Amino acid sequence: MSLFESQSENRQSGEPERCLQANNREFNTLFGYPNNTIKTSKYNVLNFLPLNLFEQFQRLANAYFLILLFLQLIPQISSLAWYTTVIPLMVVLSITAVKDAIDDLKRHQNDNQVNNRSVLVLTNGRMKEDKWMNIQVGDIVKVENNQSVTADMLLLSSSEPYSLTYIETAELDGETNLKVKQAISVTSDMENNLKLLSAFDGEVRCESPNNKLDKFAGILTYKGKNYILDHDKLLLRGCVIRNTDWCYGLVIYTGPDTKLMQNCGKSTFKRTHIDHLMNVLVLWIFLFLGSMCFILAVGHGIWENKKGYYFQNFLPWKEYVSSSVVSAILMFWSYFIILNTVVPISLYVSVEIIRLGNSYYINWDRKMFYAPKNTPAQARTTTLNEELGQVKYVFSDKTGTLTQNIMIFKKCSINGTLYGDVYDKNGQRVEVSEKTEKVDFSYNKLADPKFSFYDKTLVEAVKRGDGRVHLFFLSLSLCHTVMSEEKVEGELVYQAQSPDEGALVTAARNFGFAFRSRTSETITVVEMGETKVYQLLAILDFDNVRKRMSVIVRTPEDRVMLFCKGADTIVCQLLHPSCRSLGDVTMEHLDDFAIEGLRTLMVAYRELDNAFFQAWSKKHSEVCLSLEDRENKISNVSEEIEKDLMLLGATAIEDKLQDGVLETIITLNKAKIKMWTLTGDKQETAVNIAYACNIFEDEMDEIFIVEGKDDETIWQELRSARAKMKPESLLESDPVNSYLTMKPKMPFKIPEEVPNGNYGLVINGYSLAYALEGNLELELLRTACMCKAVICCRMTPLQKAQVVELVKRYKKVVTLAIGDGANDVSMIKAAHIGIGISGQEGMQAMLNSDYAFCQFHYLRRLLLVHGRWSYNRMCKFLSYFFYKNFVFTLVHFWYAFFSGFSAQTVYDTWFITFYNLVYTSLPVLGLSLFDQDVNETWSLRFPELYEPGQHNLYFNKKEFIALETTYWTMISHFFIWGSLGFYFCVLFFLYSDGLCLMFPNVFQFLGVARNILKLPQLWLSLVLSVVLCMLPVIGYQFLKPLFWPVSVDKVIDRIHHCMRHPLPPPIRTKVKHASSRRSAYAFSHKQGFGALITSGKTMKGKPKKSSLLKK
Amino acid sequence: MKRTPQDCPSRLPENTAVKQQQLPACRLQLSATGILSGFFATGVFCLGMGVILILSAKSSMEIEINYTKICASCAKLRENARNFDKECTCSIPFHLTQTMRGNVYMYYKLYGFYQNLHGYLLSRSNSQLLGTDVKDVETCAPFSKSHDGTPIAPCGAIANSLFNDTIILSYKLNSSVHIQVPMLRSGITWWTDKYIKFRNPSSSNLSSAFAGTTKPPSWPKPVYELDENDPGNNGFLNDDFIVWMRTAAFPTFKKLYRRLSRTQHFIEGLPAGNYSFNVSYNFPVTRFQGEKSVVLSTLTWSGGHSLFLGLAYTVTGAMTWLAAFSMMAVHLKLKGKRFSPDDKVKL
Repeated sequence: MSLFESQSENRQSGEPERCLQANNREFNTLFGYPNNTIKTSKYNVLNFLPLNLFEQFQRLANAYFLILLFLQLIPQISSLAWYTTVIPLMVVLSITAVKDAIDDLKRHQNDNQVNNRSVLVLTNGRMKEDKWMNIQVGDIVKVENNQSVTADMLLLSSSEPYSLTYIETAELDGETNLKVKQAISVTSDMENNLKLLSAFDGEVRCESPNNKLDKFAGILTYKGKNYILDHDKLLLRGCVIRNTDWCYGLVIYTGPDTKLMQNCGKSTFKRTHIDHLMNVLVLWIFLFLGSMCFILAVGHGIWENKKGYYFQNFLPWKEYVSSSVVSAILMFWSYFIILNTVVPISLYVSVEIIRLGNSYYINWDRKMFYAPKNTPAQARTTTLNEELGQVKYVFSDKTGTLTQNIMIFKKCSINGTLYGDVYDKNGQRVEVSEKTEKVDFSYNKLADPKFSFYDKTLVEAVKRGDGRVHLFFLSLSLCHTVMSEEKVEGELVYQAQSPDEGALVTAARNFGFAFRSRTSETITVVEMGETKVYQLLAILDFDNVRKRMSVIVRTPEDRVMLFCKGADTIVCQLLHPSCRSLGDVTMEHLDDFAIEGLRTLMVAYRELDNAFFQAWSKKHSEVCLSLEDRENKISNVSEEIEKDLMLLGATAIEDKLQDGVLETIITLNKAKIKMWTLTGDKQETAVNIAYACNIFEDEMDEIFIVEGKDDETIWQELRSARAKMKPESLLESDPVNSYLTMKPKMPFKIPEEVPNGNYGLVINGYSLAYALEGNLELELLRTACMCKAVICCRMTPLQKAQVVELVKRYKKVVTLAIGDGANDVSMIKAAHIGIGISGQEGMQAMLNSDYAFCQFHYLRRLLLVHGRWSYNRMCKFLSYFFYKNFVFTLVHFWYAFFSGFSAQTVYDTWFITFYNLVYTSLPVLGLSLFDQDVNETWSLRFPELYEPGQHNLYFNKKEFIALETTYWTMISHFFIWGSLGFYFCVLFFLYSDGLCLMFPNVFQFLGVARNILKLPQLWLSLVLSVVLCMLPVIGYQFLKPLFWPVSVDKVIDRIHHCMRHPLPPPIRTKVKHASSRRSAYAFSHKQGFGALITSGKTMKGKPKKSSLLKK
Repeated sequence: MKRTPQDCPSRLPENTAVKQQQLPACRLQLSATGILSGFFATGVFCLGMGVILILSAKSSMEIEINYTKICASCAKLRENARNFDKECTCSIPFHLTQTMRGNVYMYYKLYGFYQNLHGYLLSRSNSQLLGTDVKDVETCAPFSKSHDGTPIAPCGAIANSLFNDTIILSYKLNSSVHIQVPMLRSGITWWTDKYIKFRNPSSSNLSSAFAGTTKPPSWPKPVYELDENDPGNNGFLNDDFIVWMRTAAFPTFKKLYRRLSRTQHFIEGLPAGNYSFNVSYNFPVTRFQGEKSVVLSTLTWSGGHSLFLGLAYTVTGAMTWLAAFSMMAVHLKLKGKRFSPDDKVKL
């Protein structure tokens, strides 16, 4: 069966294909399909303890301590009391368990909430309300407008003509525009007739559950006939029904089988470099521990042979010790237990606490709170913080991330007059700001209150009845593919395929030419308060080659008019010669628009002779029916009529950048973070935006464009780009080349190559598909990484992820992906750090991200302030942590040489028990939660401070830096002195008379504290130790910047300098636009929507309504 | 579904110092002058301290006489455990050139005796020594019970290895008259040990208190007969026993044995002259290449005669000064280079 070809690959369970019958629960239960309950939680009350413990013991350190515990229970080798490991282990385990339990509780609550939503189910011929979780395969469910779809179901019928159903798939793929689903006719005839619906006994055979959102194959057998089903007929769980009063569906996949749940599979756990390093270090520490134990065991063997044997009068060997060798073997394990403190058990827990704390700082940051949306920044993962301080590459989406994806009708040029600039009384041009007075549209009842325009002259022209101006707006209100919805009389809501179009139609609406509704044959426009119905004769739709669209309408006055809008380069060639002078003026205006970075369109019209049109129309319909080369023919025919156009004017739309994008990118550049823009948009718009937000600069030496369509060309293009940037990199002798010819084993790392200037690279998706092939990917990577900025356009979501993977694989640096749409999910997941902008488009990106916030410019703060601090803190923490463990343990190593290698500890067992857990944990934690080497103002002003993190300078296998709290807060004081004080309190308690007398064999150190602390020698030694520990470190810190200055030291030096002599605040960089670029027309929507309109299928206008309007 | 800002409370994070990471703090910023003057100050302090400590250590006097070799014949005798009941004494004469003023303390010092072995340290019963349960010998292996199963009191390896030499110091007043230097055996323990940690089992007399127990195998006499002269100094409360039970951390150690009773000729301390130690030699050390000596010493506020701490301070102080001078030199030489012109341009 070819229909089920793809089955085998996506089948995990044994189910070969799904078979079900509507309204037949008995039949369907035979197959044991799950019900519609979803479960994202991990534990329940019963299995929590065993499961959680099992998971925790999978961690190396925890497992190690469990083994240690068993070792300690063997009396022959037990060198420490059992509680020295049990107490820390218990504390560590319970902290983690509590955290896990709280997390899981939240998931339980979420699940419950979803499972208990109610929905209408058809039972026994009536609609009955039931809970979501009780829905089963084969049920018929009714979903009403604005409700979410309960399970994946086959659309049977809906309230709309042809059983069309509009859905929004924001939760699934993040797209907010409406999509259309249509039922097959045999079921749509049932409409909402419950009798027919309950009698419906169609059998469906379809593929087994899989995670492909855009694929579905099945067969409906009903009344002996087979009907083919595809994904156009399937409503997926998670969609929301819009603009459709009701629809009925046959449940096909439920609960965990739904495509939504199949897609939200286990997200891969991201690990940071430090995590990895930590594991490596722990492993090294194990080896170190082993060798220490070995040395000590050998030492013990020798000692027993030489001394211990003769000492037996006083301490006879145990009966099981036959020789010094046996004793040495036992001693190995005894020391293994004693030296356990070198393995940092609380390391993982402490690291988690620190990361959690630092994540909370992100959540708490008021400077990353976006008031208009009432949304604070959110650290969704708490494990990646320090990585934020090491980012080297930022991959950014364009739409919705750099830009707001809000198109604003900014200016226009009508009949040679430029509108949109605001002048003050003296005739000086003024910048539009919050205070500038908006144009009053109150004369127009249909005006959109959100629309704002500042130039009054245009409104005056409209009011005056300027014919050209009226025609201009009329053409904008007619020539488009927008759909309108009017739930409340007078409140129009437009559903536009591209925001550009929406902006234009909205502008026309506000100036008094409100597009109100459309059917397949008519367009209703309210012209200056007067409703007019235009007959829609043809739509010549947009495509990438034509770069224009036209509509042909018959006006109520029975004139045939063609309205066209399109890219200036194209439209100006189609103009009637009489418009030349107007064209020149308009072109000048277009240049002005381009300088301001606006997206431009030219608008023109043509009045058609009726006879001419009829002839053309005939030709057109013939061509439309032809089977061969139809597209080409249609385009030729269209060209016949789209000529001799009369120019009306031009529009300028602002693709609004998000706030602070410019400053952020400049700062990131200074921090040596490379910015790559990966966008699905087309090249012109992407490059335009890149200039607008300073990713590309005018001062750049050259921008390379890779657009080859085959391997050879692309290879050439990449090589020639490299030849310009760094000619020697093409030579055999180049170190990277000679390294690559050695064919190093994966994973290898391509070192950083420095070009001779500032370059940019533009590559489009088609070429990228070739370039990502094995033999070119290294060429691509080397070329791209030399450039300061890279723009990839026309990217598929998969390609975005591939690019990220590429850099991740060969560069071994931290990558960060930031985006807002569903198409960014793959790259967000692929990158080390994924950031979701919770903005215009759906939640998908946010849900898959590690960090989420509302505005791109928060990235600067996230990286330079939070990231940098987190990284510095983590490094200091780790260094100090390892340091204190080593110091603690090495004392035992030293003492072994004086105690006959007999596994005697220097400290008493309680001190060992509490050392890591109580005495030393808080000061380190305090350090790693509160330390700030420089404050946020400085780290934002000197982005250079970010660099050490990128090269991981502060914590690597070579370096151990000593404890240096540079930022003494009250809490630091409290923690450090508190811990010290606490130590003495515990000391006196443990050595107190009462406790010792109660348990004389456990607490043996009665009176030690009292007698020892009286001795001046003790205090003198203490002072000396402190001096000896501190001075070398301070000296090193003092000399290091003098002898081996790194750029950071210079910066810090400057900061200190600035603190003493405050500088004036930095001058804000002025937003400047480049001069010579003309932005092109950018329809970002798919072509071919016009055909759907004229076919009448998507017309939802109800006959009665439109007739009402006609009157 | 989407909530608008109006219908839910603001989620603006609280403006507290902790949450905004704005805690008031003092930032450690050490200027070059600060660091250098700190170094010099520390150097001065350490040097001063070192000199004081050395002077103070020098002011105390100490003599140590190793009698392992001098009493070789006794040592030989003790190597064979069967000779345990044979007495062996030896006398070690020595000359004191200077008067030892003030309180003089007598120590015995052992070399190569490992009181810090793990197994050795574990082998004691604190609850037995507390006198609450004299038969609690659980933790005392391998010296918990005698062959016939009677619990040992005091049990354990530490107690069994009690140092049992008797050392008597005699002073040659003139060529014919020797007088025994009066020594006190009280006040040589920690107060906490003598009065809290060690207690005899309560009973009318000591021997009945220890009924049902036996002496440690190496002891010649049971615990309640340790001091025949002073009945109060017997049982677990014997001072020498308590001192021994506070184990030493290193294999070379000295323990306080007696202190001078400053009466008659000895009010000032130990006058210069000829003395001799009369040792009744019981404690075997030669088997494991150990050594024994006896030490006479006076004390000062900073401890005994040991120069270690003083020297350590002096050396540290000197090093600090050295470091401070070289740092200052480096600083003065390289200071000009730090603010290079191109840095300022960047600013």
